[in-house]
Amino acid sequence: MTTPTRPSLDDPSLTIPVEHAGIFEPIPLARTERQREFYDLRDGEMLLNMGPQHPSTHGVLRVVLKISGEQVVDLDPVLGYLHRGVEKIAENSDFHHIISQLDPLEYVASLFCEWSPVMSFEKLLDVQVPRRAEYIRVLTGELNRIASHMLFMGWYALDLGGITPILWSFAERDEIVEILAAITGAKLLFNYFRIGGVNGDLNHEFMSRLGDWMSRAGAQLEAGMGLLNENEIFVRRARGLGVLDRETALRMCATGPNLRASGVPFDIRRAHPYSVYPELEFEIPTRREGDSLARYLLRMDEVRQSLRIIDQCLHQMPDGPVMARLPRLLRPRPGRAYSAVEGPRGQYSCYAISDGTDQPFRLRIHDPSFLHLQLVGLLMPGNLIADTMAIMASLDPVMGGVDK
Amino acid sequence: MTAYWNRLSVGSRAFLIIVPALLVVGAILTVAVALLLPPVLDFLGANLPLARFVAAAAAIIVVTIPVAFVIIYMELKVIAAMNLRVGPDRVGPYGSLMSVVHGLKVLAKEDFTPRGVDVPIFTLAPIVVFASIPLTMLVIPFAPGVFGQDFNIGLLYFFAIGGMSVVGLMMAGWASFNKYSLLGALRAAAQAISYELPLTLSVVGIIILAGTMSLNSIVQLQAGSFLDWNIWKQPLGFIIFFIAATAEANRTPLDMTEADQELVAGFATEYSGMRFGFFFFAEYVNVFVVSALSAVLFFGGWNAPFNWPFPVTLSLDPGGMGLGLIFLIALAPVVGTIILGLPFWLLSSRVSTLRALVIGFVLFNLLIVGAFMGWAFVSAAWVSGLVWMMLKTFVFVFIFVQMRGTLPRVRVDQLMSFAWKWLLPAALLNIFVTAIAVSILANR
Repeated sequence: MTTPTRPSLDDPSLTIPVEHAGIFEPIPLARTERQREFYDLRDGEMLLNMGPQHPSTHGVLRVVLKISGEQVVDLDPVLGYLHRGVEKIAENSDFHHIISQLDPLEYVASLFCEWSPVMSFEKLLDVQVPRRAEYIRVLTGELNRIASHMLFMGWYALDLGGITPILWSFAERDEIVEILAAITGAKLLFNYFRIGGVNGDLNHEFMSRLGDWMSRAGAQLEAGMGLLNENEIFVRRARGLGVLDRETALRMCATGPNLRASGVPFDIRRAHPYSVYPELEFEIPTRREGDSLARYLLRMDEVRQSLRIIDQCLHQMPDGPVMARLPRLLRPRPGRAYSAVEGPRGQYSCYAISDGTDQPFRLRIHDPSFLHLQLVGLLMPGNLIADTMAIMASLDPVMGGVDK
Repeated sequence: MTAYWNRLSVGSRAFLIIVPALLVVGAILTVAVALLLPPVLDFLGANLPLARFVAAAAAIIVVTIPVAFVIIYMELKVIAAMNLRVGPDRVGPYGSLMSVVHGLKVLAKEDFTPRGVDVPIFTLAPIVVFASIPLTMLVIPFAPGVFGQDFNIGLLYFFAIGGMSVVGLMMAGWASFNKYSLLGALRAAAQAISYELPLTLSVVGIIILAGTMSLNSIVQLQAGSFLDWNIWKQPLGFIIFFIAATAEANRTPLDMTEADQELVAGFATEYSGMRFGFFFFAEYVNVFVVSALSAVLFFGGWNAPFNWPFPVTLSLDPGGMGLGLIFLIALAPVVGTIILGLPFWLLSSRVSTLRALVIGFVLFNLLIVGAFMGWAFVSAAWVSGLVWMMLKTFVFVFIFVQMRGTLPRVRVDQLMSFAWKWLLPAALLNIFVTAIAVSILANR
């Protein structure tokens, strides 16, 4: 049996023609036919390396652009700078520990990457979650969704060259994060959901801060959106940019706002209801254009709907315990469970297999960011360098979830 | 002798060496100046315009640095206020020395030359950029009599020298051996070609109206109240000029060349230390120059926005006061200090006597300075002219800064199509309309 070896530089069939490489550019080693085609430059074409230290790549993404003048001809995303092997980590930690390991996956909205595995573990264990805990999950989740969309708005404007919106939206995001920190104890990686409930009931600081913020949130969020929604330069740049049509979106497994902006009203909160969403009243905003502007405006509509949901949660919040009674050491029956939640970026789902021990046999995590990053390769060619980051930002991937 | 020397302290030894050395050098310099001054003065007297040019150029290079500091501080503070931030508040009162510290920082940083750059061009580029922009200040009249040079082709000189900075940007981008720099430089060239045309054409209307390209004459023709300013005669010209000037100064909605979200820092990516500082300063001096030119061409330059309702004449005759003058000079500081410090001493128990006196002294000095400046403002035309000119200029600087905090960046193809499809035809239309109007009015 032969051990697999790295392809060697001496193999002439795999090296890039030397005359195309610059003086200090290492000659990349083509491992696939696609790479060989990509790195073979025609007349007037040039490779431009964006990231991982470029000021506007989101997280540590590296994109090699093949450009002709200012126009992007082709691109090659290079992933893996944030890879931790979290699925393998999950196989070696017990069910309680996994929650904190999964937090950094989607560090912008980390409650959602706790929610889906917690739900699948509850299915494995046949646990009934108290209603108050479900309401608290929805309440904090929607707060986190607003925080995530605010971050999107700021970064999107920043990628189009506007420096003020990010600081306005961070004023809101900071307040939300402070509110969440009042019950979770953390500002970024909350580690708040537990199997069978949540960690800690609503407290006085949370309620007073939330009430204070809710009383002015609507007007403030509208003011922040007013910086961009009516801005001629912004609208002209975003309209018609990176159009994702309905069929492509479905074929490429887009979910969440990116799918709904292309005209498919698919939202897991309504399509496959979970938690207490059936009891709540809200709309699924949908747009047909499928361009960057639609994706931006749709997220802003979702923020308005989330405010409605928070309002209803506060009014309908029942009394009762926030944790189901469970043994400390969890040993679910052997079996499989799947659960999906609608995160701010799309479907966040989790498939857990238990073999009867206190650790899952396998935990498959589906992150929408990874699928949305694939769309970049479809939407980008033909656009200008200036729009590279604008298109990428409008799809809103988070590199923690992409690299896992 | 040696024993005496050994008993001396270090300072005394230094004193004993430096003082004779200074005396000797001073004597030599005195003799040299006495010998050389008459011919030099003769030469300067014979070439007065040249002397004025050299002196003004030197003065302007010196003046640009504080101007850039003020604008950088303004940008830091104004954008901070728009961003819901505090901005710099550590160095100096309200952080006012922050930009000075920035300047010192770029001086102290390592001046790094990357591998593979074209060293002579890489070194020259910041100098070309920095030298060209203050030189355009040479023709701007800041006040009656306060200007470097009054060319009869002043406006043409301004655009010619201002366009030179693009050459520097091209040099920087080409020599940097960096693809981002190269793209930034190419954008700079494309932008300069596109926007120099509407910029130059937008002021042709004013040249037709004024019949001269001398900026001094253009300002003098706008004398009177604010109704006599060119903005009322050339509104379209002003709009075109302002947009094109934004592109020329590389300011935010049109700052293609250093779009940091796209091209890292554009042409300046590979620069560090004071070489980067030159680009940095040049950008802000450019903002100042463009704002000053807007004020000169369209907003009356150093003319006050209104005619004084009454002639202000201050006639003081110190001789008529006799001995009273001596008493005034001797007693005014003491009495003024006490009178101005008294309210603080009386009204707040926390203010000690000494502190009240210090406050009174500072207030008295401010009062005197204010009185002197007010006297200068009403009696010296160049002081009031300078004040009005700076006021107008900094209003435009403020607008430039505010635009940076407000607007996203235009895409590069939109930038080009806007210049060629809208600005250029509008500028041509402006020229035609102005020319027809002037010829009709002249024939009547």
